[in-house]
Amino acid sequence: MRPFAYTAARTLGQAVEALADGGPGTKVLAGGTTLYDLMKLRIENPPAVIDISRVSELTRIDTSGAELVIGAGARMADVAEHPVVRRDYPALSESLWRAASQQLRNMATVGGNLLQRTRCSYFRGGSAFPCNKREPGSGCSAIDGIDRHHALFGGSQSCIATYPGDWAVALLAFDAKLDVVGPKTRRTIALADLHVEPGSTPQREHTLAADEIIVRIRVPKTAAGRGSTYLKIRDRESYAFALTSAAVGLTIGRRGVIEQSRIALGGVATRPWRVPAAEQSLIGEQLTEATARRAGEVAFAGAKAGHHNGFRIELGIRTVTEALMIARTRATR
Amino acid sequence: MPTRRNFLRGAGAATALVGVETVGSPLTAAALAGDETLRQPYARRVDARDKVRGAVQYGADHVPARLTHAVPVVATIGKGRVVEFDTTAAEAVPGVRLVLTRIPPGELRSAPFIMAGGFAVQGYQPMTSDRVAYRGQMIALVVADTLVAATEAAALVTARYETEPFAVTLDADGTETLLQATVIPRFPDTVMGDADAAYATSPVKLDATYDGPPQHAMPIELLASTVEWQGENLIVRESTQNANAVRHGVAYELGISADRVEVISPSAGGAFGQKNSFQMHLGPLALAARRVGRPVKLVVPRTQTFHAGSFRPASRQRIRLGADRSGRMLAAIHEIDAQTSRHDLFPMQYTELTGRMYDIPDFRGRHQLVRTDAQTPGYMRAPFEHIAAFALESSVDELAYKLGKDPVALRLANDAPTTDPISGHPFTSRHLAECLRRGADRFGWVDRRPGVGSMRAKDGTLIGWGVAVGAYKAATAPATAVLRAESLGRRRCRVTITVDGHEMGQGIRTAITNLITGNLGVATEDVVVVVGDTRGVPPQHSTAGSWGTATALPAIDAAMGKLREQLGLRPSGPIDLPAAMSGRAPVELQARTKAPGQPDDVWDRVAAGGAAGAGPEYPAFTSMSYIAHFVEVRIEPRIRRIRVPRVVSVADCGRVASPVTAVSQVRGGVIWGIGATLREGGEVDPRFGGFLSASLEDYALPVNADIGDIDVSLIDKPDPLLNSVGVKSLGEVSMVGVAPAIANAVWHATGRRVRRLPIRIEDVI
Amino acid sequence: MDNALPAASAPAAVDLAFTVNGSPAKVAVDPRESLLDVLRERLDLTGTKKGCDHGQCGACTVHVDGRRVVSCLTAAVQVDGRAVTTIEGVEGPDGELHPLQQAFIDHDALQCGYCTPGQVMSGLACMAEGHTRDDAEIREYMSGNLCRCGAYAGIVAAIRETARRTGH
Repeated sequence: MRPFAYTAARTLGQAVEALADGGPGTKVLAGGTTLYDLMKLRIENPPAVIDISRVSELTRIDTSGAELVIGAGARMADVAEHPVVRRDYPALSESLWRAASQQLRNMATVGGNLLQRTRCSYFRGGSAFPCNKREPGSGCSAIDGIDRHHALFGGSQSCIATYPGDWAVALLAFDAKLDVVGPKTRRTIALADLHVEPGSTPQREHTLAADEIIVRIRVPKTAAGRGSTYLKIRDRESYAFALTSAAVGLTIGRRGVIEQSRIALGGVATRPWRVPAAEQSLIGEQLTEATARRAGEVAFAGAKAGHHNGFRIELGIRTVTEALMIARTRATR
Repeated sequence: MPTRRNFLRGAGAATALVGVETVGSPLTAAALAGDETLRQPYARRVDARDKVRGAVQYGADHVPARLTHAVPVVATIGKGRVVEFDTTAAEAVPGVRLVLTRIPPGELRSAPFIMAGGFAVQGYQPMTSDRVAYRGQMIALVVADTLVAATEAAALVTARYETEPFAVTLDADGTETLLQATVIPRFPDTVMGDADAAYATSPVKLDATYDGPPQHAMPIELLASTVEWQGENLIVRESTQNANAVRHGVAYELGISADRVEVISPSAGGAFGQKNSFQMHLGPLALAARRVGRPVKLVVPRTQTFHAGSFRPASRQRIRLGADRSGRMLAAIHEIDAQTSRHDLFPMQYTELTGRMYDIPDFRGRHQLVRTDAQTPGYMRAPFEHIAAFALESSVDELAYKLGKDPVALRLANDAPTTDPISGHPFTSRHLAECLRRGADRFGWVDRRPGVGSMRAKDGTLIGWGVAVGAYKAATAPATAVLRAESLGRRRCRVTITVDGHEMGQGIRTAITNLITGNLGVATEDVVVVVGDTRGVPPQHSTAGSWGTATALPAIDAAMGKLREQLGLRPSGPIDLPAAMSGRAPVELQARTKAPGQPDDVWDRVAAGGAAGAGPEYPAFTSMSYIAHFVEVRIEPRIRRIRVPRVVSVADCGRVASPVTAVSQVRGGVIWGIGATLREGGEVDPRFGGFLSASLEDYALPVNADIGDIDVSLIDKPDPLLNSVGVKSLGEVSMVGVAPAIANAVWHATGRRVRRLPIRIEDVI
Repeated sequence: MDNALPAASAPAAVDLAFTVNGSPAKVAVDPRESLLDVLRERLDLTGTKKGCDHGQCGACTVHVDGRRVVSCLTAAVQVDGRAVTTIEGVEGPDGELHPLQQAFIDHDALQCGYCTPGQVMSGLACMAEGHTRDDAEIREYMSGNLCRCGAYAGIVAAIRETARRTGH
């Protein structure tokens, strides 16, 4: 790990100021499960680090209003277990507790988790492997390599690395927004606008400015939240990243007609991937095996398989189907 | 916890002890076999208390004064040579004491490969030349006052390379395929009768090819050593299965007498074959410690262990099985291509299992070694048997389906109950049929519907039931036991045993303690077991090949017989050693035993640090352990995740020396089987060499949520011939056959016959 | 707020004050050092084990302010002012084992013992969190601790029994 200057912030104001003063490359350290890990791998090499893990104003969870408001510094485990989140947004809770391990969920924050970086083996493997995300211009080892875990959507000639997170996928399905602050800015962005596709600049993964900090996450309350689930399929039963995942939410009206539908895909794209056409295909329909499957097929219609990841198209279709069937049992009627 | 054991009550006269140099106490297998009621509750795992407190010291847990830290630098190319190092930046890191790159000739020489009469995990010592033989190979070693500084400096060492073409997969251009029988004549191929002719005329034929991936042992304890020079003497703390080879290996490399090296390894944090020899980091580390004049600790980073440690080689097996229409197996031809390195010939023994599993009169095996640019593969748990059983037992399952036979009945009908088909000699004991019958009973096999896809849960989940059997040699190695009895008053006597053996979690300390408390009437807490420490008389020959218990216990048994004789106590039956020793000066004596038929010069080989395991073929008999596995898989209707909610395993390992640890060991073996079948596959990108899946994320081991109910049962019939205690082998046989049992269950559930491991969701979707 | 340190050279040590197993500890650390390495190499608390150093095995699990974390991904500087409990702090003042430790022995929930301290620390937290409703939940919430020997069944049994006996 490269030497770095360490600053512990006690307040958000201190953190913003220190980040602005820290110079180019300064990074915010929260739970450490991504940043500190990547620093050990020398993939992240910040000259200075601002520790915000003691900023208590970032950890509040407020469920009293028309939105669920979650401080960016709240720990994944705490949000996963929050009774209102569990009741009103099972998909959000499940996306959290199906991620990583309880130890890591006790450390990682819900804000930091949004910016989790890819688990691509070539990216993490270090300098033996060309990687445009790690070393722009060096090439992509995955495109003609072992791409079993790589993206089916949103890839480019430069990069097909999968966005690995679960939480952001669930948030995307429910139109979450982020409040961010910088030294001169205070703005709200849609989660849908946070992550970007790699294009020709895969090193750029999100739209936050270098001096901005995520303060809170806001999720509008919707009945589709209660009728939701996050289904994650992995190579083992737990403690692994997704091969495919789906966050879905439904509201079902009288006579069993679907009124609202939300579907976002995880583990299959270079960013959290919402599929409006698949959502739309369900509106006005009854939820049956056939309509659920059709929604899955619509969701994966544009998928682009590589050498070893084609099976994840059919698996993804089935994941959506299964998730919808689970959500149906929870959806209001 | 009871302090007295009376399971020796009624023990009869001694029978002839085969191959035992010093006749042990008449705790004979025959006597034990006669009385099943003698079994008493055994001690719990004797070192469990220290383990749950985190008090056991593993290789990296020693923190001596003035300790420094070493971190390796590894090659980032697939093959070639280092043209130039730049160590300037590394040396400028505060606290750095040494950046060791290419070691000058004369300072270190390469220890020979353990399977070529040497000590080492491979016969190629990195850093003694400019060679890079494989990606991930150590090319430099940095020593600094702190781990942070050493890590940083290691990252700053840069190398300029000249690259060469390399080949890392079985099919790649540039590999070299060698007939093992030609290049390693002491490992000839097994041929019985005329298998090709018998196969050609068999009424029923099966011919299929099975692929096995490279797999990694990945004990949770990392490869690690703490070394310290005390004057001219070197103290090595390193978790190992083979302190003797570590000692002789490092002495050889440094050109010093082995007497000047001590290896201390009281417990290993898992080993599974990966720690069965001298590791290639130790020579440079010892040299570095001498240069810096301080103790140095090296903990090999997890990613590097994928290239520093040995591994189960990639394999391709073609198996042809001929049978008559009644299901009697007539012929088998088993041809194997498996990976070795450029610098070593790793001998394969796949047909040791396939030639003996059934009574097949005509058999032909052929092993071919494929040279690749990797580190030398090694003996990862059930190294050949696991994957050989996958091929054979999948074929047997296919045969059962082809003929409409029950898979259990077919196996029973082809059992070779008494005679080893290869040697023609008797098996010492073989209770495979009982394993199958008991397993079928415990599993409820009678309720199985044979049709593919015929068993489903209410929600549509596919249920598959599969069976397979396994075997593993009952090997034996020479052992020396030093017994010291010391009175602690009228009621207590401390017995200290120092013996060739290593505790890797299999429970050897517990098995030894059980033997001593049962035989001598001393309390569990008064038994001290010293293993894995070269500072005593026993050289600490390797504990591998599942021979640990069958090696240490007979030597201890012999020592206890001597003790009884010396004290004038009855040669058999219960005694009260505390009373007999009360008021006497301490007694110390030693005994040694070796494998049946081993020549006396085997002691010279052990003294020189060499490997001296024997079996399964002994001069007058063949000895194997056996197991039957029954597996249920459940496959979800939509997603098709494969789950293993329950397994029933029944093993014949001879006498069970330690029931608690034995059952745990089998359960662990089954979990290894589940991992090896459904999870673990080393990913190799031929463009880069080495292993791409070089982390515990990319190389997925089973987690707690992957594991369901595992019902373990042990036949527990002492082997009457192999040794005086009646024990055979257990650690490795426990995983043999799990893979085909799962694969056969997957077939039963889905109709997919998967012939490549690991079986993943894409194989059944 | 601490002063920012110059980035070009090796960083100055940061004075760290925290409690370990109830006792105060003061140690000057490099900001790069992990809590795991500080415990093992500086404070001689070697019961906490290194298995991967990247949060992928759980062998280094300790409690920080009563919650389980992996100490390999915890920068030591982040525990300033916090309370850390390691395996060495689990037993009673007179060396009596915690009931969960005893249950690990009773159920032979270990083999080589290397992952065991992490399993015990994780198991204690699993009970405190209340994630012991059934075996499936215990398995899920213990899946962050790899055991290569395969002692999972004993681990689940030990936690199930202890949770029941101690009212978790």
